[in-house]
Amino acid sequence: MNEQHPLGPLVRRWSRHSSLTPSDRDAIIALPHVRKTFAKDAYMVREGQRTHECSLLLRGFAYRQKLLSNGSRQIISIHIPTEFVDLQNGILGVADHSVQSLDRCEAAIIPRDALLEIAARRPALRMAMWIDTLIDASIFREWVVNVGRRDARTRVAHLLCELVVRLEKIGMGRDGMVDFPLTQEQLADCTGLTAVHTNRTLQSLRKDGLIQLNARSLTVLDWERMREVADFDELYLHQEI
Amino acid sequence: MTSPEYAFASLLRQLERHSVLSAEDRQSLLALPYRLRRLDLGSYLVREGDEPTHCSVLISGYAFRQKLTGAGARQILAVCLPGDAVDLQNIFLDVSDHSVQLLTRCDVADVPREALQELALTRPAIGTAIIAFTLVEASILREWVVNVGRRDARARVAHILCEFAVRLEARELATGEGFELPMTQEQLADATGLTSVHVNRVLKSLETEGLISRRRRYIQFTDWRALQNIGDFSRRYLHMADHDVITQTY
Repeated sequence: MNEQHPLGPLVRRWSRHSSLTPSDRDAIIALPHVRKTFAKDAYMVREGQRTHECSLLLRGFAYRQKLLSNGSRQIISIHIPTEFVDLQNGILGVADHSVQSLDRCEAAIIPRDALLEIAARRPALRMAMWIDTLIDASIFREWVVNVGRRDARTRVAHLLCELVVRLEKIGMGRDGMVDFPLTQEQLADCTGLTAVHTNRTLQSLRKDGLIQLNARSLTVLDWERMREVADFDELYLHQEI
Repeated sequence: MTSPEYAFASLLRQLERHSVLSAEDRQSLLALPYRLRRLDLGSYLVREGDEPTHCSVLISGYAFRQKLTGAGARQILAVCLPGDAVDLQNIFLDVSDHSVQLLTRCDVADVPREALQELALTRPAIGTAIIAFTLVEASILREWVVNVGRRDARARVAHILCEFAVRLEARELATGEGFELPMTQEQLADATGLTSVHVNRVLKSLETEGLISRRRRYIQFTDWRALQNIGDFSRRYLHMADHDVITQTY
């Protein structure tokens, strides 16, 4: 029955992080929540907003971003179903960045008090929630490295590898092919490049037979070489737990 | 030079910023077992790929988190201050995803991993505070992604100077006027994704324009407001304000 429940995927992910008792699982399923649908490019949270809710992505893709005073944008992470897109905004009280939908998506909006309460009462859930935040932090560290010290080709390839591996982990890949929700401009904002540079880089990855990229889908054709080009080591995703 | 008492009290204050702790919570944190070590500049506290057995609290001195790319370039990810628990993340993650190296000679207190696991699992308020603490670290990392991804060299360097100043001041390790920067220009370059030549040029221009003045590694802020503007610096992402405290106890 949990299979169909909107919070079922959260049960499955947290079960990977920590050993949950049946009553821990029931407590997750019993979390109060509201399902909300967002149109493409809608704001789920705006920087500066005070919020006491956390959004768990059920369907579709979302991204976190910050706008600079000079008007440029940096995308700081991409989120896929079963992930919290703004645990930090709910828990820390004020959004330090914005969250936007990449396509039409659906989220379960959970009051932070309910989440903090199950975390306080149930050590295994507290541990699972913490591991979620730690993995997020680890991914941010890798993104700092990516924009700070890798060249354009490596940056873009790295981001593509990361998305494929994360999507495959939640069963959203089919033979190395995944849905790819980003425009070239958004890809540029993820990697600190210009859209033109990103376009050239994608062309070169295509020409070298590493990837196939259509309007909505991405396939990595040669994983071994792609990993090397991308300087990609998935240790930082901590997927073994 | 700071003492173990200072460092653990500072760690406690950081946790209390985000959660209300009881007298018992405080006592159990301050009663954590530890072993003191003195380490030289350049020593590693943890290396990427290690399976850590303890978590180190920085008693005195500075450290930084870093990763090396396959091509051998280094990116610094954070600077750790006295009172920071530098590898708290390894309490529940089995393999370290980055390295921590010392910027100066340091005294550290090594706390066994099991003792911290038990504390986080048996004391809900401390567990919640540690989660909030991790979320703030993640927030700072997001700002660093922005800094190296979309700011020009001048803004990047100004931003990191502002951040360091505000964090030091919050720990009462510096006054608002300036601070001793424990980093070489090469390390500043690795923190901002620049070359050291470029960092050197930026520091000189900030000085020429009257924004900072320098005596060796001591940086004084001669125009703090203008420096913040150049660095596009707003302290919101540091989550230091009162409304960031989780006041309710669960």
